[in-house]
Amino acid sequence: MNGDDLFSGELENVMRWLSTAGIVFALISAGLIAFFLTRRPGWRMTPPAKWLLLVGFFLLPSTTMLLGNVVGFHRVKTSCAECHVMDPWISDLRDPKSTTLAAKHYQNRWINENPCYTCHTGYGLAGNLEAKWSGLRHVWHYYVAGVPEEIKMKRPLPVKTCLHCHAQAASYLKIEQHVDPEMEPQILSGELSCFECHASPHPRKNR
Amino acid sequence: MSDPSPPEAKPAPAEPRRSILALTIACVLALVGLAVTVLHLAWPSPLMFTLFMVVGQGSFAAAMAVYLAVILVDLRRRKVL
Repeated sequence: MNGDDLFSGELENVMRWLSTAGIVFALISAGLIAFFLTRRPGWRMTPPAKWLLLVGFFLLPSTTMLLGNVVGFHRVKTSCAECHVMDPWISDLRDPKSTTLAAKHYQNRWINENPCYTCHTGYGLAGNLEAKWSGLRHVWHYYVAGVPEEIKMKRPLPVKTCLHCHAQAASYLKIEQHVDPEMEPQILSGELSCFECHASPHPRKNR
Repeated sequence: MSDPSPPEAKPAPAEPRRSILALTIACVLALVGLAVTVLHLAWPSPLMFTLFMVVGQGSFAAAMAVYLAVILVDLRRRKVL
């Protein structure tokens, strides 16, 4: 790694720096806490001990936890393909002959970053938290409870996931059905799903 | 000659011992949280992230709760609060 890469502003490089900082802060904090624990009990309620705890128990660990969250939430967005149970869907994404919406979006790079996460999350704070809670549930199933034979979504993909990108696009607005006075309210409200007319986003069954 | 000032109440010795014990427990919990966090940052994976979210942050949150309780007790003992 040359000097330019070390200080580049690329997100992955920033995350590496944040991870390193988190590890350093954690080790310093652990050292301070260990020092506190090895002192005699009478010293532990003295003012120097309280200052030490302020730094080693409160400030540094809090910063470490914050960095752990930032780095973790960033990395988890690209971890969908790490579980083998997702292999059929990942294979479909990369299949040049596939006609599914997910494959087209992926191969044409219509979603440049975090292609899985962009669709499989809501928008706004509540949606992102729900997506993260779902991720925890997936890890639970993968490592503890077991993965069901057939994987299917708990509820249909919200139409607003598609509309978030497409609603104001010229290519969307020039389609007559999208702006039809009768159909447009049904589309915008989610009553009429995009997949009633458009291709399936993913293959229906495991390949 | 009688002493006009009332006898001072001696501070309870048991409370600082309890506070010290509570701080020790909080420190151990914090060390557990920090260990999981270091593992998560050094070897990232979905499982480590889950352990960080549940065990790491849970342990540290418990440590902070005990730490804040000790601070409150100490402030009340000194009649600041």
